[in-house]
Amino acid sequence: MTKRMILIGTLALGCFMISVSPAQAKDDNFDGVVKVIERFYRVKHKGIPFLARAGMKTAVTAARIAGGSKKRLAEAGSVKVAYFEDQDFESGPGAARFREAINTALGKTWNPFVQVTSPKSGEQVYIFLRHAGDKFHVMTITIDRRDASVVQVTLSPSTLAKLLQDPEDMGRAINDEATTDQ
Amino acid sequence: MKSPKQVSVSALWKFAAAAILVVVGAGANASAQTAKIQTSSLDHLVSKASETFNLDLDESLMQLTAKVFKANDPDEARVKALVSGLKGIHVRVLEFEKEGEFLAADLEAIRTQLRAPGWNRIVNAKSKKEGSVDVYLMTSGSQVLGLAVLAADAKEIAVVNILGNIDLEKLSQLEGQFGIPDLSLEKPKRKN
Repeated sequence: MTKRMILIGTLALGCFMISVSPAQAKDDNFDGVVKVIERFYRVKHKGIPFLARAGMKTAVTAARIAGGSKKRLAEAGSVKVAYFEDQDFESGPGAARFREAINTALGKTWNPFVQVTSPKSGEQVYIFLRHAGDKFHVMTITIDRRDASVVQVTLSPSTLAKLLQDPEDMGRAINDEATTDQ
Repeated sequence: MKSPKQVSVSALWKFAAAAILVVVGAGANASAQTAKIQTSSLDHLVSKASETFNLDLDESLMQLTAKVFKANDPDEARVKALVSGLKGIHVRVLEFEKEGEFLAADLEAIRTQLRAPGWNRIVNAKSKKEGSVDVYLMTSGSQVLGLAVLAADAKEIAVVNILGNIDLEKLSQLEGQFGIPDLSLEKPKRKN
C-alpha cells in the first residue's frame, strides 16, 4: 500500500512538473515562443526539412545584409527558423494580448527592441536582443494574416550595429529572407 | 474621550498617510530624475492606427550599443560618440489612414508630464500643413537628464524620448537612426 502511495505521489509530482513547464520553456526561448504562437493562434509550425532549407538561406541572407558574400556574419549553425504557412492568424484575442504573451515568454533574458503592428493589415513584427558572450542573439517574430515565422540568429557586433541603426528594415530583412522560398 | 483602540487606529492612519507621502514623493522624485515619459495614454489609439512602431533601447541595450560600434571606423566612431552618455532611446509612432482618428486631447497626458518641473520646451514649431513639433529638454542644474519630442500631424503621432546627456545637435544627427523618425529639425548653428 505504501509503495503504491509513493508511486501515485511520484506520478502526481511528475504531472505537476509537466504542468509548470512554461517556466522551463523560458530557458529555451525559441521553442517557448513557437509554443506561445501555437497556443495563442491554435496553429502548427513546419517540420524539419523546410527548416534546414530556410536555415541555410538565413545564413546567406545575413551575410548579404552585412555587406556582401565575403562578410559571413551569421554564425555557422546559429540559425533557428520556425515557419507557419497558410494558417489563420486573424482570429484570436488580438495583437495587444499576443504582445504581452510574447514578452512574458521571453522574460528577462531577452530585451524587447522593436515592436511594429499594423492592426488593419494584421502584420506584427517583434525584434528581441540578447547578449551571448562576445556576440548577440537576435530573435524576430513576424506575423501576417496567413503566415508567421520565428527566426533566431547569432550576430557579430558589427552586424548588430547595422541592425541598431536601421532596426525596422533590418529586422524585416532577416525574417523575410529566412522564410522566403526562392 | 477616545478609547485606546480608537487612538491606535488614528495613529495607524497618520502613519499610513505619512508613508504614502514618502512613497509618492520618492516616486515623483525618481520620475523627475529619469526623464522617462510614459506613453501608455496612447494605447487606446492602437486599434485605430494603420501602423504602430515601438522601439525601446533601455540602459542595458544602450551599454551594448556603445560596445558594438568600433572606435577605429570613422562612421561607427561618430555614432559611438553620439550614443555615449545616453541611457535610453524610446520611440513610439502611430500612423493613421484618415484624419480625425485622434484628438489633441489624446496627447494631453503626455503634455502634462512635459509641463512638470525640470522640463523646458526649447522648440515649438507649428504649421497647418505639417502639424506641430515640440522639443523639450529636462535639466537638473547644468546637467541634461533627457529630451522629449512630441510631433503630431493630422495622420501621425510621434513621441521620442532620449534619456541621458543629449542636445539638439545630437538629436538632429540621430534622426533616421535607431528608429528615430526624421523630424526635419534644423541643426543648431555652432557659435564661433
